[in-house]
Amino acid sequence: MLGIRRISTSRWWHKKKNWLFFAIFLFLVFVRISKGAFYKDFYYFISKPFWPGQFQKEIVFESINQEYLIKLNLLKKDNIRLRQILSLQESSNDEHISAAVISRKTGSWWRQIILNKGSKDGVEIGNIVIGPGGLLGTVKNTSLFTSSVTLITSPESKIGVWVDRIQINGLLVGLGDDYPSLIIYSKDADIKVGDFVSSSPASTLLPPNIPIGIVLSVDETLKLKKTAKISLLAKPHVIDWVQILKGNI
Amino acid sequence: MNKFLTKKLSIISFIFIPIIFLWNPNWLGFLGVQPYWPLFWLLPWSMINGSISGLIFGLFLGLILDSLTLNQSFTQIPGLIFCGFLFGRIKLHSDILLGHFRYGLICSLGSFLCGTFYFLQILFRNFSDSNSLMLIPSVKNILAEVFLTGFFAPFICSQLLRMFKFSRRKI
Repeated sequence: MLGIRRISTSRWWHKKKNWLFFAIFLFLVFVRISKGAFYKDFYYFISKPFWPGQFQKEIVFESINQEYLIKLNLLKKDNIRLRQILSLQESSNDEHISAAVISRKTGSWWRQIILNKGSKDGVEIGNIVIGPGGLLGTVKNTSLFTSSVTLITSPESKIGVWVDRIQINGLLVGLGDDYPSLIIYSKDADIKVGDFVSSSPASTLLPPNIPIGIVLSVDETLKLKKTAKISLLAKPHVIDWVQILKGNI
Repeated sequence: MNKFLTKKLSIISFIFIPIIFLWNPNWLGFLGVQPYWPLFWLLPWSMINGSISGLIFGLFLGLILDSLTLNQSFTQIPGLIFCGFLFGRIKLHSDILLGHFRYGLICSLGSFLCGTFYFLQILFRNFSDSNSLMLIPSVKNILAEVFLTGFFAPFICSQLLRMFKFSRRKI
Protein backbone atom coordinates (compact mmCIF):
# COMPACT_ATOMS: atom_id res chain seq x y z
CA MET A 1 0.00 0.00 0.00
CA LEU A 2 2.83 2.30 0.98
CA GLY A 3 4.61 1.38 -2.25
CA ILE A 4 1.61 2.28 -4.38
CA ARG A 5 1.27 5.64 -2.70
CA ARG A 6 4.93 6.37 -3.31
CA ILE A 7 4.52 5.62 -7.02
CA SER A 8 1.42 7.75 -7.33
CA THR A 9 3.05 10.74 -5.67
CA SER A 10 6.01 10.56 -8.02
CA ARG A 11 3.96 11.12 -11.18
CA TRP A 12 5.21 13.92 -13.39
CA TRP A 13 2.11 16.05 -12.89
CA HIS A 14 2.74 16.17 -9.16
CA LYS A 15 6.01 18.01 -9.70
CA LYS A 16 5.75 21.77 -9.53
CA LYS A 17 8.84 22.13 -11.74
CA ASN A 18 7.19 20.37 -14.68
CA TRP A 19 4.18 22.69 -14.53
CA LEU A 20 6.57 25.66 -14.42
CA PHE A 21 8.27 24.38 -17.57
CA PHE A 22 4.89 23.88 -19.19
CA ALA A 23 3.86 27.44 -18.31
CA ILE A 24 7.11 28.82 -19.76
CA PHE A 25 6.56 26.76 -22.90
CA LEU A 26 3.00 28.10 -23.27
CA PHE A 27 4.31 31.65 -22.83
CA LEU A 28 6.89 31.06 -25.56
CA VAL A 29 4.27 29.62 -27.87
CA PHE A 30 2.25 32.79 -27.24
CA VAL A 31 5.34 34.89 -28.09
CA ARG A 32 5.84 32.82 -31.25
CA ILE A 33 2.21 33.15 -32.36
CA SER A 34 2.14 36.88 -31.68
CA LYS A 35 5.43 37.15 -33.65
CA GLY A 36 7.24 38.78 -30.74
CA ALA A 37 4.85 41.75 -30.66
CA PHE A 38 5.14 41.94 -26.90
CA TYR A 39 8.96 42.12 -27.07
CA LYS A 40 8.95 44.64 -29.89
CA ASP A 41 6.56 46.94 -28.03
CA PHE A 42 8.67 46.60 -24.90
CA TYR A 43 11.76 47.43 -26.94
CA TYR A 44 9.89 50.46 -28.37
CA PHE A 45 9.53 51.93 -24.89
CA ILE A 46 13.01 51.21 -23.57
CA SER A 47 14.76 52.42 -26.74
CA LYS A 48 12.70 55.64 -26.96
CA PRO A 49 15.36 57.88 -25.35
CA PHE A 50 17.95 56.72 -27.91
CA TRP A 51 16.03 57.28 -31.14
CA PRO A 52 17.99 58.99 -33.91
CA GLY A 53 18.00 62.76 -34.11
CA GLN A 54 18.45 65.20 -36.98
CA PHE A 55 21.97 64.35 -38.09
CA GLN A 56 23.79 62.57 -40.94
CA LYS A 57 22.80 65.53 -43.14
CA GLU A 58 25.63 65.15 -45.63
CA ILE A 59 25.00 61.49 -46.39
CA VAL A 60 21.25 61.97 -46.51
CA PHE A 61 21.35 65.06 -48.81
CA GLU A 62 23.84 63.44 -51.17
CA SER A 63 21.62 60.38 -51.49
CA ILE A 64 18.52 62.55 -51.92
CA ASN A 65 20.14 64.56 -54.74
CA GLN A 66 21.20 61.37 -56.47
CA GLU A 67 17.71 59.95 -56.07
CA TYR A 68 16.00 63.11 -57.42
CA LEU A 69 18.25 63.29 -60.48
CA ILE A 70 17.51 59.69 -61.38
CA LYS A 71 13.81 60.11 -60.63
CA LEU A 72 13.63 63.22 -62.80
CA ASN A 73 15.25 61.38 -65.68
CA LEU A 74 12.85 58.50 -65.29
CA LEU A 75 9.82 60.77 -65.08
CA LYS A 76 10.79 62.55 -68.30
CA LYS A 77 11.08 59.25 -70.10
CA ASP A 78 7.83 58.06 -68.55
CA ASN A 79 6.09 61.22 -69.69
CA ILE A 80 7.17 60.66 -73.28
CA ARG A 81 6.14 57.04 -73.10
CA LEU A 82 2.76 58.01 -71.62
CA ARG A 83 2.07 60.42 -74.41
CA GLN A 84 2.79 57.68 -76.86
CA ILE A 85 0.93 54.85 -75.20
CA LEU A 86 -1.69 56.57 -72.99
CA SER A 87 -2.25 53.44 -70.91
CA LEU A 88 0.51 53.28 -68.28
CA GLN A 89 -0.07 52.00 -64.75
CA GLU A 90 -0.40 54.88 -62.29
CA SER A 91 0.80 55.00 -58.75
CA SER A 92 -0.25 57.34 -55.96
CA ASN A 93 2.53 57.95 -53.46
CA ASP A 94 0.84 60.89 -51.78
CA GLU A 95 0.39 59.25 -48.41
CA HIS A 96 3.76 59.02 -46.70
CA ILE A 97 4.45 58.18 -43.09
CA SER A 98 7.82 59.30 -41.72
CA ALA A 99 9.33 56.83 -39.29
CA ALA A 100 12.58 56.49 -37.35
CA VAL A 101 14.65 53.32 -37.38
CA ILE A 102 14.73 51.99 -33.81
CA SER A 103 16.40 48.63 -34.46
CA ARG A 104 18.61 47.64 -37.31
CA LYS A 105 19.93 44.27 -38.41
CA THR A 106 21.79 44.93 -41.62
CA GLY A 107 24.54 42.36 -41.29
CA SER A 108 24.49 38.58 -41.01
CA TRP A 109 21.45 36.58 -42.22
CA TRP A 110 18.73 38.65 -40.63
CA ARG A 111 18.36 41.79 -42.67
CA GLN A 112 15.55 43.82 -41.20
CA ILE A 113 14.82 47.17 -39.62
CA ILE A 114 12.21 47.99 -37.01
CA LEU A 115 10.42 51.35 -37.29
CA ASN A 116 8.72 53.40 -34.59
CA LYS A 117 5.38 53.47 -36.41
CA GLY A 118 2.97 50.57 -36.16
CA SER A 119 -0.61 49.58 -36.82
CA LYS A 120 -1.70 52.44 -34.54
CA ASP A 121 -0.34 54.89 -37.14
CA GLY A 122 -1.94 53.07 -40.04
CA VAL A 123 1.04 51.03 -41.23
CA GLU A 124 -0.06 47.83 -42.94
CA ILE A 125 1.69 44.64 -43.99
CA GLY A 126 2.94 44.99 -47.55
CA ASN A 127 3.57 48.75 -47.40
CA ILE A 128 6.69 49.89 -49.22
CA VAL A 129 9.53 51.52 -47.29
CA ILE A 130 11.86 53.98 -48.98
CA GLY A 131 14.80 55.92 -47.61
CA PRO A 132 17.13 58.61 -48.95
CA GLY A 133 18.34 56.98 -52.18
CA GLY A 134 15.42 54.72 -52.96
CA LEU A 135 13.80 51.44 -52.05
CA LEU A 136 14.66 49.75 -48.75
CA GLY A 137 12.13 46.94 -48.38
CA THR A 138 8.57 46.03 -47.50
CA VAL A 139 6.71 45.89 -44.21
CA LYS A 140 6.35 42.24 -43.24
CA ASN A 141 5.01 42.51 -39.74
CA THR A 142 3.36 45.16 -37.56
CA SER A 143 2.72 45.49 -33.86
CA LEU A 144 0.78 48.30 -32.19
CA PHE A 145 3.76 50.68 -32.01
CA THR A 146 6.31 49.15 -34.40
CA SER A 147 6.63 47.70 -37.85
CA SER A 148 9.29 45.29 -39.09
CA VAL A 149 10.70 45.72 -42.56
CA THR A 150 12.40 43.01 -44.60
CA LEU A 151 15.25 44.66 -46.48
CA ILE A 152 15.87 43.88 -50.14
CA THR A 153 19.24 42.41 -49.11
CA SER A 154 17.49 39.68 -47.05
CA PRO A 155 17.69 36.10 -48.40
CA GLU A 156 13.88 36.08 -48.34
CA SER A 157 13.50 39.09 -50.62
CA LYS A 158 12.69 38.60 -54.31
CA ILE A 159 11.34 41.54 -56.30
CA GLY A 160 10.76 42.42 -59.92
CA VAL A 161 13.00 45.20 -61.23
CA TRP A 162 13.50 47.19 -64.41
CA VAL A 163 16.80 47.95 -66.13
CA ASP A 164 16.05 51.24 -67.79
CA ARG A 165 18.85 51.47 -70.42
CA ILE A 166 18.10 48.13 -72.03
CA GLN A 167 14.36 48.19 -71.20
CA ILE A 168 14.22 44.73 -69.67
CA ASN A 169 12.67 43.18 -66.57
CA GLY A 170 14.70 41.16 -64.09
CA LEU A 171 14.50 39.57 -60.67
CA LEU A 172 16.39 41.09 -57.73
CA VAL A 173 17.28 38.42 -55.17
CA GLY A 174 18.70 39.15 -51.70
CA LEU A 175 21.64 36.95 -50.80
CA GLY A 176 22.32 37.86 -47.18
CA ASP A 177 25.13 40.28 -48.06
CA ASP A 178 25.11 44.00 -48.94
CA TYR A 179 24.89 43.43 -52.69
CA PRO A 180 21.71 41.70 -53.93
CA SER A 181 21.89 39.85 -57.22
CA LEU A 182 19.99 40.77 -60.37
CA ILE A 183 18.95 37.80 -62.52
CA ILE A 184 18.01 38.43 -66.13
CA TYR A 185 16.59 35.39 -67.85
CA SER A 186 18.02 36.24 -71.23
CA LYS A 187 21.54 35.48 -72.35
CA ASP A 188 21.44 38.27 -74.95
CA ALA A 189 20.64 41.10 -72.54
CA ASP A 190 23.29 43.81 -72.93
CA ILE A 191 23.60 44.69 -69.25
CA LYS A 192 26.66 46.75 -68.31
CA VAL A 193 28.38 47.99 -65.17
CA GLY A 194 26.80 51.32 -64.20
CA ASP A 195 23.31 50.50 -65.48
CA PHE A 196 20.56 51.88 -63.30
CA VAL A 197 17.97 49.55 -61.76
CA SER A 198 14.52 50.67 -60.58
CA SER A 199 11.32 48.94 -59.53
CA SER A 200 9.53 47.34 -62.43
CA PRO A 201 6.48 49.02 -64.00
CA ALA A 202 5.12 45.50 -64.42
CA SER A 203 5.40 44.63 -60.72
CA THR A 204 2.20 44.14 -58.77
CA LEU A 205 3.98 44.45 -55.41
CA LEU A 206 5.87 47.72 -55.86
CA PRO A 207 5.02 51.12 -57.33
CA PRO A 208 6.94 51.71 -60.58
CA ASN A 209 10.16 53.72 -60.95
CA ILE A 210 11.44 53.69 -57.38
CA PRO A 211 15.24 53.89 -57.65
CA ILE A 212 16.97 50.77 -56.33
CA GLY A 213 20.61 50.60 -57.34
CA ILE A 214 23.38 50.52 -59.88
CA VAL A 215 25.01 47.48 -61.51
CA LEU A 216 28.36 46.81 -59.86
CA SER A 217 29.56 43.75 -61.76
CA VAL A 218 28.16 41.34 -64.35
CA ASP A 219 28.57 37.57 -64.33
CA GLU A 220 28.14 35.92 -67.71
CA THR A 221 29.30 32.40 -66.86
CA LEU A 222 25.80 30.89 -66.71
CA LYS A 223 24.32 29.44 -69.88
CA LEU A 224 20.73 30.62 -69.87
CA LYS A 225 20.80 33.78 -67.80
CA LYS A 226 22.93 36.72 -66.74
CA THR A 227 23.46 37.76 -63.16
CA ALA A 228 24.74 41.04 -61.81
CA LYS A 229 25.69 42.42 -58.41
CA ILE A 230 23.76 45.56 -57.49
CA SER A 231 25.04 48.38 -55.31
CA LEU A 232 22.03 49.86 -53.51
CA LEU A 233 21.41 53.61 -53.58
CA ALA A 234 19.71 53.62 -50.18
CA LYS A 235 22.12 52.53 -47.44
CA PRO A 236 20.13 50.74 -44.74
CA HIS A 237 23.06 50.65 -42.31
CA VAL A 238 23.25 54.46 -42.03
CA ILE A 239 19.68 55.64 -42.64
CA ASP A 240 17.87 56.77 -39.51
CA TRP A 241 14.66 58.10 -41.04
CA VAL A 242 12.51 56.41 -43.67
CA GLN A 243 9.22 56.93 -45.46
CA ILE A 244 6.47 54.34 -45.50
CA LEU A 245 4.33 54.54 -48.63
CA LYS A 246 0.78 53.92 -47.55
CA GLY A 247 -1.01 54.15 -50.86
CA ASN A 248 -1.72 50.94 -52.70
CA ILE A 249 -0.62 50.46 -56.27
CA MET B 1 13.08 42.05 -3.87
CA ASN B 2 16.86 41.98 -3.86
CA LYS B 3 16.81 38.31 -2.88
CA PHE B 4 14.33 37.54 -5.65
CA LEU B 5 16.53 39.29 -8.22
CA THR B 6 19.59 37.36 -7.04
CA LYS B 7 17.72 34.07 -7.19
CA LYS B 8 16.24 34.63 -10.62
CA LEU B 9 19.33 36.22 -12.17
CA SER B 10 19.59 33.57 -14.87
CA ILE B 11 15.95 33.94 -15.94
CA ILE B 12 16.15 37.74 -15.87
CA SER B 13 19.24 37.67 -18.08
CA PHE B 14 17.40 35.22 -20.39
CA ILE B 15 14.63 37.79 -20.91
CA PHE B 16 17.18 40.38 -22.03
CA ILE B 17 18.69 38.25 -24.83
CA PRO B 18 15.99 39.23 -27.37
CA ILE B 19 16.42 42.88 -26.40
CA ILE B 20 20.17 42.72 -27.14
CA PHE B 21 19.40 40.77 -30.30
CA LEU B 22 17.15 43.67 -31.42
CA TRP B 23 19.51 46.38 -30.16
CA ASN B 24 22.29 45.04 -32.38
CA PRO B 25 24.88 47.74 -31.62
CA ASN B 26 26.81 48.72 -34.76
CA TRP B 27 29.99 49.61 -32.90
CA LEU B 28 30.35 45.99 -31.75
CA GLY B 29 30.12 44.67 -35.29
CA PHE B 30 32.69 43.41 -37.76
CA LEU B 31 31.91 43.57 -41.50
CA GLY B 32 28.39 44.56 -40.47
CA VAL B 33 27.95 41.28 -38.55
CA GLN B 34 27.24 40.99 -34.83
CA PRO B 35 28.26 38.27 -32.37
CA TYR B 36 25.66 35.54 -31.91
CA TRP B 37 24.26 36.76 -28.60
CA PRO B 38 22.14 33.76 -27.47
CA LEU B 39 25.21 31.51 -27.21
CA PHE B 40 26.74 33.73 -24.52
CA TRP B 41 23.81 32.87 -22.27
CA LEU B 42 23.28 29.29 -23.41
CA LEU B 43 26.87 28.16 -22.72
CA PRO B 44 26.99 28.95 -18.97
CA TRP B 45 23.38 27.82 -18.50
CA SER B 46 24.00 24.44 -20.14
CA MET B 47 27.34 23.93 -18.38
CA ILE B 48 25.66 24.36 -15.01
CA ASN B 49 22.29 22.67 -15.68
CA GLY B 50 23.24 19.89 -18.09
CA SER B 51 22.38 18.76 -21.61
CA ILE B 52 18.61 18.31 -21.30
CA SER B 53 18.11 21.74 -19.76
CA GLY B 54 20.43 23.20 -22.40
CA LEU B 55 18.40 21.52 -25.12
CA ILE B 56 15.11 22.83 -23.73
CA PHE B 57 16.36 26.38 -23.32
CA GLY B 58 17.96 26.19 -26.77
CA LEU B 59 14.45 25.49 -28.06
CA PHE B 60 13.01 28.37 -26.01
CA LEU B 61 15.65 30.78 -27.30
CA GLY B 62 15.04 29.62 -30.85
CA LEU B 63 11.29 30.16 -30.50
CA ILE B 64 11.73 33.72 -29.25
CA LEU B 65 14.45 34.75 -31.71
CA ASP B 66 12.58 33.24 -34.66
CA SER B 67 9.54 35.30 -33.77
CA LEU B 68 11.67 38.47 -33.75
CA THR B 69 13.23 37.87 -37.15
CA LEU B 70 11.15 38.05 -40.28
CA ASN B 71 12.62 35.09 -42.14
CA GLN B 72 9.65 32.76 -41.99
CA SER B 73 11.27 30.09 -44.12
CA PHE B 74 14.37 29.65 -41.96
CA THR B 75 14.76 28.86 -38.27
CA GLN B 76 17.48 29.16 -35.64
CA ILE B 77 15.98 26.37 -33.51
CA PRO B 78 18.04 23.36 -34.77
CA GLY B 79 21.35 25.14 -34.22
CA LEU B 80 20.45 26.37 -30.75
CA ILE B 81 19.04 22.98 -29.66
CA PHE B 82 22.19 21.24 -30.83
CA CYS B 83 24.44 23.80 -29.13
CA GLY B 84 22.42 23.60 -25.89
CA PHE B 85 22.83 19.82 -25.85
CA LEU B 86 26.51 19.99 -26.78
CA PHE B 87 27.36 22.66 -24.21
CA GLY B 88 25.72 20.57 -21.49
CA ARG B 89 28.27 17.82 -22.07
CA ILE B 90 31.14 20.16 -21.26
CA LYS B 91 32.51 20.10 -17.75
CA LEU B 92 33.77 23.14 -15.88
CA HIS B 93 37.55 23.48 -15.91
CA SER B 94 39.56 24.01 -12.74
CA ASP B 95 42.12 26.27 -14.43
CA ILE B 96 40.37 29.66 -14.60
CA LEU B 97 42.58 31.16 -17.30
CA LEU B 98 42.31 28.09 -19.52
CA GLY B 99 38.55 28.12 -18.85
CA HIS B 100 38.24 31.63 -20.31
CA PHE B 101 39.86 30.59 -23.57
CA ARG B 102 37.74 27.46 -23.69
CA TYR B 103 34.58 29.60 -23.63
CA GLY B 104 35.87 31.45 -26.67
CA LEU B 105 36.61 28.26 -28.59
CA ILE B 106 33.35 26.56 -27.62
CA CYS B 107 31.24 29.60 -28.52
CA SER B 108 33.09 29.91 -31.83
CA LEU B 109 32.27 26.30 -32.60
CA GLY B 110 28.64 26.84 -31.54
CA SER B 111 28.35 29.94 -33.69
CA PHE B 112 29.84 28.05 -36.63
CA LEU B 113 27.31 25.24 -36.18
CA CYS B 114 24.33 27.62 -35.86
CA GLY B 115 25.49 29.67 -38.85
CA THR B 116 26.03 26.53 -40.94
CA PHE B 117 22.59 25.14 -40.06
CA TYR B 118 21.02 28.44 -41.07
CA PHE B 119 23.05 28.71 -44.27
CA LEU B 120 22.14 25.14 -45.26
CA GLN B 121 18.46 26.01 -44.90
CA ILE B 122 18.92 29.02 -47.21
CA LEU B 123 20.86 26.88 -49.70
CA PHE B 124 18.21 24.16 -49.59
CA ARG B 125 15.43 26.72 -50.13
CA ASN B 126 17.20 28.22 -53.16
CA PHE B 127 18.43 24.90 -54.54
CA SER B 128 15.51 24.46 -56.92
CA ASP B 129 15.98 27.97 -58.40
CA SER B 130 19.59 27.07 -59.35
CA ASN B 131 20.61 30.31 -57.63
CA SER B 132 22.38 28.53 -54.82
CA LEU B 133 25.89 29.25 -56.12
CA MET B 134 25.26 32.97 -55.80
CA LEU B 135 24.88 32.51 -52.05
CA ILE B 136 28.43 31.27 -51.53
CA PRO B 137 29.91 34.78 -50.81
CA SER B 138 27.55 35.13 -47.86
CA VAL B 139 29.63 32.50 -46.04
CA LYS B 140 31.55 35.55 -44.80
CA ASN B 141 28.60 36.12 -42.43
CA ILE B 142 29.39 32.83 -40.70
CA LEU B 143 33.12 33.55 -40.49
CA ALA B 144 32.66 37.08 -39.12
CA GLU B 145 30.11 35.80 -36.59
CA VAL B 146 32.43 32.98 -35.49
CA PHE B 147 35.28 35.43 -34.95
CA LEU B 148 33.19 37.94 -32.99
CA THR B 149 31.43 35.34 -30.87
CA GLY B 150 34.75 33.71 -29.99
CA PHE B 151 36.27 37.11 -29.21
CA PHE B 152 33.57 38.25 -26.78
CA ALA B 153 32.74 34.87 -25.21
CA PRO B 154 35.60 34.79 -22.65
CA PHE B 155 34.48 38.15 -21.22
CA ILE B 156 30.74 37.61 -21.21
CA CYS B 157 30.45 33.85 -20.54
CA SER B 158 32.78 33.85 -17.54
CA GLN B 159 30.83 36.73 -15.96
CA LEU B 160 27.49 35.03 -16.61
CA LEU B 161 28.82 31.70 -15.30
CA ARG B 162 29.95 33.41 -12.10
CA MET B 163 26.55 35.10 -11.74
CA PHE B 164 24.60 31.88 -12.34
CA LYS B 165 26.75 29.97 -9.82
CA PHE B 166 26.25 32.74 -7.30
CA SER B 167 22.47 32.71 -7.72
CA ARG B 168 22.38 28.91 -7.33
CA ARG B 169 24.46 29.04 -4.18
CA LYS B 170 21.94 31.39 -2.60
CA ILE B 171 19.10 28.92 -3.29
